[in-house]
Amino acid sequence: MAVAIAAGRVWRPNRGLSQAAVLLLWRPGARGLARSHPHRQQQQFSSLDDKPQFPGASAEFIDKLEFIQPNVISGIPIYRVMDRQGQIINPSEDPHLPKEKVLKLYKSMTLLNTMDRILYESQRQGRISFYMTNYGEEGTHVGSAAALDNTDLVFGQYREAGVLMYRDYPLELFMAQCYGNISDLGKGRQMPVHYGCKERHFVTISSPLATQIPQAVGAAYAAKRANANRVVICYFGEGAASEGDAHAGFNFAATLECPIIFFCRNNGYAISTPTSEQYRGDGIAARGPGYGIMSIRVDGNDVFAVYNATKEARRRAVAENQPFLIEAMTYRIGHHSTSDDSSAYRSVDEVNYWDKQDHPISRLRHYLLSQGWWDEEQEKAWRKQSRKKVMEAFEQAERKPKPNPNLLFSDVYQEMPAQLRKQQESLARHLQTYGEHYPLEHFDK
Amino acid sequence: MAFVAAAAGCVLRLRAAAAEGHWRRFRGVGLARGFLHPSATVEDAAQRRQVAHFTFQPDPEPREYGQTQKMNLFQSITSALDNSLAKDPTAVIFGEDVAFGGVFRCTVGLRDKYGKDRVFNTPLCEQGIVGFGIGIAVTGATAIAEIQFADYIFPAFDQIVNEAAKYRYRSGDLFNCGSLTIRSPWGCVGHGALYHSQSPEAFFAHCPGIKVVIPRSPFQAKGLLLSCIEDKNPCIFFEPKILYRAAAEQVPIEPYNIPLSQAEVIQEGSDVTLVAWGTQVHVIREVASMAKEKLGVSCEVIDLRTIIPWDVDTVCKSVIKTGRLLISHEAPLTGGFASEISSTVQEECFLNLEAPISRVCGYDTPFPHIFEPFYIPDKWKCYDALRKMINY
Repeated sequence: MAVAIAAGRVWRPNRGLSQAAVLLLWRPGARGLARSHPHRQQQQFSSLDDKPQFPGASAEFIDKLEFIQPNVISGIPIYRVMDRQGQIINPSEDPHLPKEKVLKLYKSMTLLNTMDRILYESQRQGRISFYMTNYGEEGTHVGSAAALDNTDLVFGQYREAGVLMYRDYPLELFMAQCYGNISDLGKGRQMPVHYGCKERHFVTISSPLATQIPQAVGAAYAAKRANANRVVICYFGEGAASEGDAHAGFNFAATLECPIIFFCRNNGYAISTPTSEQYRGDGIAARGPGYGIMSIRVDGNDVFAVYNATKEARRRAVAENQPFLIEAMTYRIGHHSTSDDSSAYRSVDEVNYWDKQDHPISRLRHYLLSQGWWDEEQEKAWRKQSRKKVMEAFEQAERKPKPNPNLLFSDVYQEMPAQLRKQQESLARHLQTYGEHYPLEHFDK
Repeated sequence: MAFVAAAAGCVLRLRAAAAEGHWRRFRGVGLARGFLHPSATVEDAAQRRQVAHFTFQPDPEPREYGQTQKMNLFQSITSALDNSLAKDPTAVIFGEDVAFGGVFRCTVGLRDKYGKDRVFNTPLCEQGIVGFGIGIAVTGATAIAEIQFADYIFPAFDQIVNEAAKYRYRSGDLFNCGSLTIRSPWGCVGHGALYHSQSPEAFFAHCPGIKVVIPRSPFQAKGLLLSCIEDKNPCIFFEPKILYRAAAEQVPIEPYNIPLSQAEVIQEGSDVTLVAWGTQVHVIREVASMAKEKLGVSCEVIDLRTIIPWDVDTVCKSVIKTGRLLISHEAPLTGGFASEISSTVQEECFLNLEAPISRVCGYDTPFPHIFEPFYIPDKWKCYDALRKMINY
């Protein structure tokens, strides 16, 4: 009985605060007060005062009935540094990156593009089971990666391979994961493109969308507590931004004051779903202020714009312990994946426009050419060399065996539970009798 | 069925008559007074709320862990959390309303002691709480997340099952969230109804990669919670809320560990094995006494403690000895964890069984409010099932 009464005192079925709980909240020293709520700090207010006293908002009264009209015709402007021909528009925004760095940006994007072509083909030929290309979005990856420290933790969705490429993840390991071969650090457990790299601070990709968003926020909180001077960057598409986890992540990052960059790749499609069916507001950037988050929209195909925005967001996120939201506008030139044929829902003309008229790689190449840092000969040589590198890694990956089937059972827990060990032994016995019906010759003994 | 209906009808008629008499007597006196003053015409227990369906049995004072103090369940949780935050500078506690001490007072005093960066409220969002906790754990820091009621854990189901449980496996052990522990009040409380009484352990039992632990007492809770927090795998720790105040015993002040995945035989016996977890352990303990007294039957009572990975060996060893097994839990019968135990035991101990395995569980309904006394697998239902097993 005592339990029932006590429990009744602190909660009710509708989860509202009971009288006693409210009193507990106002007891001095019961909890700290958030510093960003100035109106909470007023301890007494006069009921004769005509200003609003509500704890929930800091605002003035208005006596005119007016709904706020969402502005989607003239949305948040798109920051860019280069025009579509790779020319700097406003010289004061030129990041003046050194030649080696710009070449690294260029080579990362083009090597990724080459690897994408070859691995997409390898799926068509039945050599790997699945693949996702990054066509058109390479700028969002390398522009942001270049603005971070190498130790900044990266949480991605699945279309951010350029970040790993920029961090010098070897072709051998990209391929190993796609082939699920014995060199795969992921031990062959996941579908292709679910990369992960502890050394390069890139958290392993998982298929469920947006789940990484609140996780990235938690990691940022831990980094803040550890005084690590690190930022966490979290990539996601405009489709994933519709998930509840995205809302959760944004709200937590703001209320808990986390040093995190939310980087949304708005590429126009979530598989076949165009943005007009994904949201009705002004994209993702407009949501940021609703959470109290500093937000910006950038031209995702402009590597320097992406770089500048990420650089400044990083500096301030770490210095001020607050989240930043960058919405990088871009276009998904490729199909969603090898399981998709996008001609079913969009025109070839539309795709061609982006491929020919507004591509991050072309725009940066124009810039390189105008700087005198690149020419046709180097372009030809690099194309040949990058293709050769990719083909070599590809052939090697094909030849390697798959991991031992025992690796099916490990890492479920840190230690293997007794019952699971029994199941492992049962598979081993089964294979002794029925092994001929299994592709054992491709697997490590 | 008819008997139940008649009895229920009888109760309802008595309540209605009492209410009417109540109003007739106090009409004209004033609503407030009449409304609050207990009616003198109602003497029978039907009007008053039920007493608890169990009697908490404290264990003998533990001697091997140093000085002890009388603590109830929520105090033993606070003590475990206090020890954790003292030992591990990375440990943080977060969830809804934990800052002021928590709706069940499990985190009282911790924010003042350890600071607002270590004990803090989150927005009202379970999927966020668990996702956030996973992220903290991925960096290697210790995350202790509270879900205010187990009934509200479902928005976090995706993060738990698809993410936390699979983090280590899918990354080839490059990453893990082993330092995540989720704690949540669990089980019936007398009046909790659909959304403050649930025991969802069966949903999580089907998920390799996490551990699910349920203590029966303050001493068990502190040791098991500390083990969960230190365990290198994500753990869910369900706390029987009805025991928060009702269960009190001597609990060591210093930290100590009770191992996970080890069931405890709390009473040895030879004729029947009784298995339960959480509050229900006290119910079956009483059933064991009833069986001894009325039937001369000797029961072996097992507290399972960890739901997954569960201690198959201890349960099977017992059933091999007794030949009879009764499993009891509040959660609904179909797909409840008793099914897993029953299935495994019949595989391992088929020839030792003298009778079919018996499961005494909640009905396949949502958890009702006013009908709770009829819903729960109380000692009479367990006793009756045991009697039938003995006479099989």
